[in-house]
Amino acid sequence: MGAKTLDARGMSCPMPIVAIAREARTLKGGEDLIVLSDDNAFPADVTAWCQKTGNKLVSIESDAGGHRAQIQKAGA
Amino acid sequence: MAAVSLAPPLGTAPEVAPPSVAALAQQLAELQAAVKKIETALPVDRISIVVFSATLDQQLAALTIATAAAASGMEVEMFFTFWGFSALRDAKKHAAAKPLIARLFGWMLPKGTQQLPLSQMHMAGAGSTMMRSIMKRNRVASLEELFSVAAELGVKVLACEMSMGLLGFQRQELIDYPGLSYCGAAHFITRATAGKTTLFI
Repeated sequence: MGAKTLDARGMSCPMPIVAIAREARTLKGGEDLIVLSDDNAFPADVTAWCQKTGNKLVSIESDAGGHRAQIQKAGA
Repeated sequence: MAAVSLAPPLGTAPEVAPPSVAALAQQLAELQAAVKKIETALPVDRISIVVFSATLDQQLAALTIATAAAASGMEVEMFFTFWGFSALRDAKKHAAAKPLIARLFGWMLPKGTQQLPLSQMHMAGAGSTMMRSIMKRNRVASLEELFSVAAELGVKVLACEMSMGLLGFQRQELIDYPGLSYCGAAHFITRATAGKTTLFI
């Protein structure tokens, strides 16, 4: 309920990933983070970031307004 | 309840004595030692970047990769050497008296990130000014911002002692970067070969 949202719109590579890394530190295991980004590299980058860090990419959606990713922090 | 026969089935070699507990314990100890050896030989999740070039674009590439790697949980070490050193010079700091050649290098090389030229299309400074303004418009982080993000994420910066001596730079002329340290090629090689990836930019 009420997942945290990180608005990374207006940020360019590598800053959305840096912002996610900062935010992820404040999350507990199992908590979700919604990330908004209008960086074209974002879908590939957030997928790779989750893979590398072991966090779960719950979903990634894109439309004309940009991208929205839902990440779940690893750990119970 | 079915009877369990302890006799070996027909046609197999008779009675191999079960290994003793002491023998098993020794095998286990040997395996543990072998696993430990393999574990210590595995590459560390670290990227080592040699920053050789004194241009804005190449420094941006190095810092972008470094901060992305650090944000992805990797250890990152950046070895600044030769011309790359220019980015570590603090424009506001001055050295004490220096020999003539060192002073010449000091005058001729970019003093800090703000003075870095572009590797292509520099056009006597117009290129790098234009690049900075396009970056601002596209909201791309500046080199100075990336340096501060790198510091925040724990990216290590190492300065090559040999090029420092060669170009005549002194420690008191360098930027205030947390944990900035000094090293030589042997240190770099040891760190780089124990890590996963090495880049030369």
